[in-house]
Amino acid sequence: MRERDVVIGHRLGLHARAAAKLVQLSTQFESNIVLSRPDVNAPQADARSILSILLLSAGFGSKVNVRAEGTDEERAIESICEYLSG
Amino acid sequence: MGTAVRMFDPLFVPFNFKLQPDQIRVEVDRFRASVEKSREQLKRVQAELGRKSGPESSFLIDAHLLVLQDRLFVDRIVEKIETEHINSEWAIQQVSDDLLQAYDRLNDDYLRERRGDLEDIVRRLLHNLQLKRMPSFKKLPYDSILIGKAVPPSTLFELRSRRIVGLATETGSPLSHTAIMARSLEIPAVMGASDLSHVSSGDLLIVDGNRGLVIWSPSEETLEEYRNRGRDEKKLRKKPSGSASGPCLTEDRVRISLGANINFSEEIKTAAANGCESIGLYRTEFDFFREGKQPDENSLVEDYSHVLKGAKGAPVTFRTIDVGIDQKTWEGVNLNLGARGLRFCLENKDVFKKQLRALYRASTNGPMRILLPFVSTIDDLDAAREVLAEVRGELDLRRHAYDPGIPVGVMIETPAAAQTCDLMASHVDFFCLGTNDLIQYYLVIDRSDQSVMHLYNPFHPAILRCLHQVYTLLQPTGKPITVCGEMAADPPSAAVLLGLGFTSLSVNLAAYPRIRRMIRSVSFGQLRELAGQILKMQKPNEVEEKVRATVYRT
Repeated sequence: MRERDVVIGHRLGLHARAAAKLVQLSTQFESNIVLSRPDVNAPQADARSILSILLLSAGFGSKVNVRAEGTDEERAIESICEYLSG
Repeated sequence: MGTAVRMFDPLFVPFNFKLQPDQIRVEVDRFRASVEKSREQLKRVQAELGRKSGPESSFLIDAHLLVLQDRLFVDRIVEKIETEHINSEWAIQQVSDDLLQAYDRLNDDYLRERRGDLEDIVRRLLHNLQLKRMPSFKKLPYDSILIGKAVPPSTLFELRSRRIVGLATETGSPLSHTAIMARSLEIPAVMGASDLSHVSSGDLLIVDGNRGLVIWSPSEETLEEYRNRGRDEKKLRKKPSGSASGPCLTEDRVRISLGANINFSEEIKTAAANGCESIGLYRTEFDFFREGKQPDENSLVEDYSHVLKGAKGAPVTFRTIDVGIDQKTWEGVNLNLGARGLRFCLENKDVFKKQLRALYRASTNGPMRILLPFVSTIDDLDAAREVLAEVRGELDLRRHAYDPGIPVGVMIETPAAAQTCDLMASHVDFFCLGTNDLIQYYLVIDRSDQSVMHLYNPFHPAILRCLHQVYTLLQPTGKPITVCGEMAADPPSAAVLLGLGFTSLSVNLAAYPRIRRMIRSVSFGQLRELAGQILKMQKPNEVEEKVRATVYRT
């Protein structure tokens, strides 16, 4: 299992377009990818579920913890974090 | 008696209902097919958008497509269908409601607005589910009771489905097309039930159209009671009732006068068409306050003339305005023990006089009687008669024609009136017995309070004694009396009224045929004997059993 914290770099936060892209990106990997916001009391999000990502309500500058688990977890966390930081 | 089936937004889907175990597989397939169809539609839209304005504008469609493959959404709906045995529409509604609530809790305005996307998808799914031409009514349980805010007009004809045994809505009036249809199909219906939001599909319900009751999660005793009623009704229906017109005679050829109660002027047509011999009670307040405001005198004259003409010579008893429990919302207070009926009228003399003027002016169009509600003292009665005289004086001055001999009567519906009706007799021309209120005040039961409703019982010895006393007090006075409460509309309790000596009843239009059948199938002499016996009984249940055995003997 790999995990990393990242600050959202998209000016509008994880809104519909960014969330959609994130889901599309996540589905390219075999690993399970989970997002959470350690500083707020939001339920964690499945990176393949657009609804749960939207409900994470991660705006510009908010800190998000990304965890990946699976055969390609290394590559997954790398490319997800790169995308999130904008 | 049956299973609640909630209808929600009529634009989308008519029903929520529980599935039989063997329907679950098919239902999941149906849901998945609608997801697939929605995806195809969105992809087509996306392709068109892409051609017209480039790939950038189609990202929103991406979001929609992603929701359709979102486990949080799709899998949860499938899970609901499988574990809770509910239909797709209901499952979609539950899951999307949860999600939408989660959106509403977000602090981010922009994201909160995204709820619109979800709503859009839900609409699309529901629409596609419907396009699958679900044979909706054919999937309903055989004892379905439709509930909802209103009945979508599109479902009106489906009411003929034998699966529907009842109907209850929060809005609508007994006059709506649906209500009329339900009545003619003999489906018990309660329109304008106060609040049904706590009832969900699958709940056990009883809809009592006679008493205007919706009973939620009934007790085993109540269920048993209604099961018996259902069986008995069927038995009675099988008995020959003779022709619909002509006088109502009991088996031993005693003439019973049977009138109809109406609440709205439109009902006069149905009453006349059914051959009702009189309108024993026209509750005028519903029409009076119909628009939420007072009508002017001329339009009242028109309304009342219309009713009298429509009655085609049958006498119509106009009960003056009674602001009572059913109209609680007007003032927002419980008026049961307050300024009801005549008390209200005497406090609001201008309203009262306006109605009386209109009544007198209309009186040239047919035989009319004026009935004063909620009288408890002779002083009130005198005051009312003074107002009547004033009104006649005004009309004379204005040279309006009217019938000077209109009979004036009072309702016996308070314990005070029941105790003193013989003293009132010399002041009035006739009496009407309002059992609904009388029972409520005698047994100290607020009819609008569900928690005591089960205690409301016309077979209570106190009620029987009271009725017996009223009959005994009035008989020597020779003043006619008609019983017009719901007690007269239910065959067993109506039979008790006959047994106690009352030979004039008036009932709502829905009950008219069955009460006529009952009257024609009983022996008055035998009921008189029966009354002698039940007056000595101790408990309401014993009384009811005894009466049912007599009325429904096969």
